[in-house]
Amino acid sequence: MLHVDNVEASYGPFLALSGATLEVRVGEIVALLGPNGAGKTTLIRCIAGLLRPRAGGIRWDGASLANVAAHRIVERGIAVVPEGRRLFATMTVEEHLDLGAFAPHAHAGRVQRLEEVYTIFPVLRERRGQLVRALSGGQQQMVAIGRALMAAPRLLILDEPSLGLAPRIVESILGVLGEINRRGVSILLVEQNVQAALVLAHRGYILESGRIVGEGTGAALMDDPHVKRAYLGPLALRH
Amino acid sequence: MTIVLQQLVLGVLIGGLYGLAAAGLSLIFGVMKVLNVAHGELIMLGGYGAFWLFALSGLDPFAALVVVIPVALVGGAILYWGLFGWVVRYHEETRIKNSLLIGFGLGLALHAAAVQLWTADERSITTAYAGSVLDVGGVSLPVVRLASLVIAFVLIGGLHLLLNHWRWGRAIRATADDWEAALMTGIDVRRAYLIAFAIGTALAGAAGTLVSVGYSISPSIGLEWTLKALIVVVLAGLGSMLGTFAGGLILGVAEACSAMVFGGPYREVVGLVIFLVVLVARPQGLFAK
Amino acid sequence: MRPASAAAGLVIVAALAAVPLVVRREDILNFLFLVLLSIALAQSWNVIAGYAGQVNLGHAAFFGLGALVTRVLWIAGTPVVIGMIAGALVAVAFALLIGWAAFRLRGAYFAIGTLALSEIFRITVGNTLAEISTLPQTTIATYRLANRYWLALALAVLAIAAVAALARSRLGLGMQAIREDEDAAGATGVDALRLKLIALVCSTALAGLVGGCFAYYHISFYPSHLFSPGWTFDAVLMTFIGGVGTLHGPVLGAIFYVFFKEYLAIRWVDFHLLIFGALFVAIVLLLPGGLVEAMGKLRGLLESAAFTPDRRRPRPEHR
Repeated sequence: MLHVDNVEASYGPFLALSGATLEVRVGEIVALLGPNGAGKTTLIRCIAGLLRPRAGGIRWDGASLANVAAHRIVERGIAVVPEGRRLFATMTVEEHLDLGAFAPHAHAGRVQRLEEVYTIFPVLRERRGQLVRALSGGQQQMVAIGRALMAAPRLLILDEPSLGLAPRIVESILGVLGEINRRGVSILLVEQNVQAALVLAHRGYILESGRIVGEGTGAALMDDPHVKRAYLGPLALRH
Repeated sequence: MTIVLQQLVLGVLIGGLYGLAAAGLSLIFGVMKVLNVAHGELIMLGGYGAFWLFALSGLDPFAALVVVIPVALVGGAILYWGLFGWVVRYHEETRIKNSLLIGFGLGLALHAAAVQLWTADERSITTAYAGSVLDVGGVSLPVVRLASLVIAFVLIGGLHLLLNHWRWGRAIRATADDWEAALMTGIDVRRAYLIAFAIGTALAGAAGTLVSVGYSISPSIGLEWTLKALIVVVLAGLGSMLGTFAGGLILGVAEACSAMVFGGPYREVVGLVIFLVVLVARPQGLFAK
Repeated sequence: MRPASAAAGLVIVAALAAVPLVVRREDILNFLFLVLLSIALAQSWNVIAGYAGQVNLGHAAFFGLGALVTRVLWIAGTPVVIGMIAGALVAVAFALLIGWAAFRLRGAYFAIGTLALSEIFRITVGNTLAEISTLPQTTIATYRLANRYWLALALAVLAIAAVAALARSRLGLGMQAIREDEDAAGATGVDALRLKLIALVCSTALAGLVGGCFAYYHISFYPSHLFSPGWTFDAVLMTFIGGVGTLHGPVLGAIFYVFFKEYLAIRWVDFHLLIFGALFVAIVLLLPGGLVEAMGKLRGLLESAAFTPDRRRPRPEHR
């Protein structure tokens, strides 16, 4: 469904991605792993339409996303939960979720979808009228995910959802992601918490210094010696 | 005592217009980080619009709002498409700098055009009821100015409601908070900019209309009103329309107090001095994010 | 500066200096005086806005302070050059006040702070010094336009030399780095605040001197007129039309502007502002390099049209 072909991207003179290729098939959860600064967020920004790749292509549903404006990419069925959540400081939980259904295709059925989101995240229903800055980190992450879900995506992309959250919350959020996937949404998950991501994911890719250096099923990657040494062992990078 | 009260009341009455003037500027800057220093000239044009409608067709200035506001909306859209829309492709600092320059040139051109077309003379709309005054406990409230204050408040209240309950109003607020996140939420940020700019210009036009009936207009009020709006925005901060209105009232009252203490000619200076003091004393920067 | 350019420059300056000795017509001298003073004023704005990238919308404040202080001191008996230096120092003092406060913040603070400052001066001076300032009869009797002319020439040369020196110095390169991207410049160790303040000092000192020269030249004026936004407009327009951030830009812009302004003013009073305002906006949007950029492109077009194998390639733009 989503094909990223040899994408190169740079910020000014700095080459952040030097040829990344990956794929997300229908119904999959794909993990994108790698150290800080590897280019994971850069790749997400390219898919989201916020950054134009200087080489390579991104195709979704067979059509190129090359010159599609970011807000139209949402209309095509891709929703992004950005790194650091990027919530709207002056808005309440309900306003966020309502805005999530802003795109024309998401307008119909939004009442129903709101109910679904509240079912997935009951705590948000309780706090629907509160300003998001009054919420805890985990709750804010739920708002961010909920906002993306309101756009009725077929592909949900999450950039480091576990960042700054306690392990128990991370567990519950990743559990929710599993549930969302079972309801038919494909997921591309960028994570530094390699362990948790690989348990959840069907397949994964390793991105280092702007290039994909490894791929495989979740299980296979967990057994991969390089992955073990760099990301899972005692000397592994911790976030 | 009554004299003091009278001055304060007059200060409040004009303060409402300061708030309205600032609201438009604040909305535009908050959403797109564009500082239109020709905002005052737009107010001036709104005033002349109402003036000529009255002079040529006898249309009551308050009724003229129904004409001025839509025209200003369209005018704002045109200014966005033709001028300010081009700077949004830059990042914030360059955007601010270029918008300052464009606004500067625009203001200059509009001012010169107004002088050419209508001469530098002061104008004012004098309706049949212009002289009416409401007497409340020894303080006289000019009816026209009172009505202007009420209308200013209604317009700002309306804006507040729009921003909170209209789909695009919320989109505008989201864009102001974080435009990339807004894009990722499916909001067409350029359209949000356009709408914000049009509404901001409409508010300027409305403010100008109210100024032309309760006070007076001339081509040179542009710079004066731009500065008033800027002072209020700095005082009140960005983000709350009602807060901006309150900031306007505060400026009006501050000017009245200063006029009583230092004398009439220094009325204008106090606002500017407050502005500079805030600049020096509150370094966390109300403009910078 | 390349030897050929330096030699050409000296010849031009010498020629200009000789003008009052050869030409007796006052209107020509007045016109040239205006051009020279405008060049200096435009260059002064160019330093802070074109090189350091900080838009100053209240340049009139510093011009006015220089003019006012010079006028007061000179009429009281101080030699005019001392008065001008004093005026420049006062201008710099106020500039540092605003700059120190505003430069630590980003965005529009500096632009609007200077605008507010110039308006404060205009209104306050208009109220406290409302009477027209006229030179005493004795001074008018011994008034020599040539002196004013040479002073303006000196200022124009000073301004151009200062910008030329700055542009190629380490300071200047640092300023231009700030202009392009302040964050990136800061990351490479550039002290943005210090450089902005230095640029501000140069800019406002020059503006103050220009004001002082104006005070020396003009027989009578209303003091508040010294702080009129028109001076800011002139500086900004001239610099941009000519080419902001270049050495030659303000010179070209000043000549172009003064010439057309005088020409248009004969027919319509303020109409020139409408045309120039529109032209300015067009330049900001479409041709930020102004006349300098336009000329470069034209030269490129002509050279490629008339290309012959042994023709030398066009020289790179002197920025």
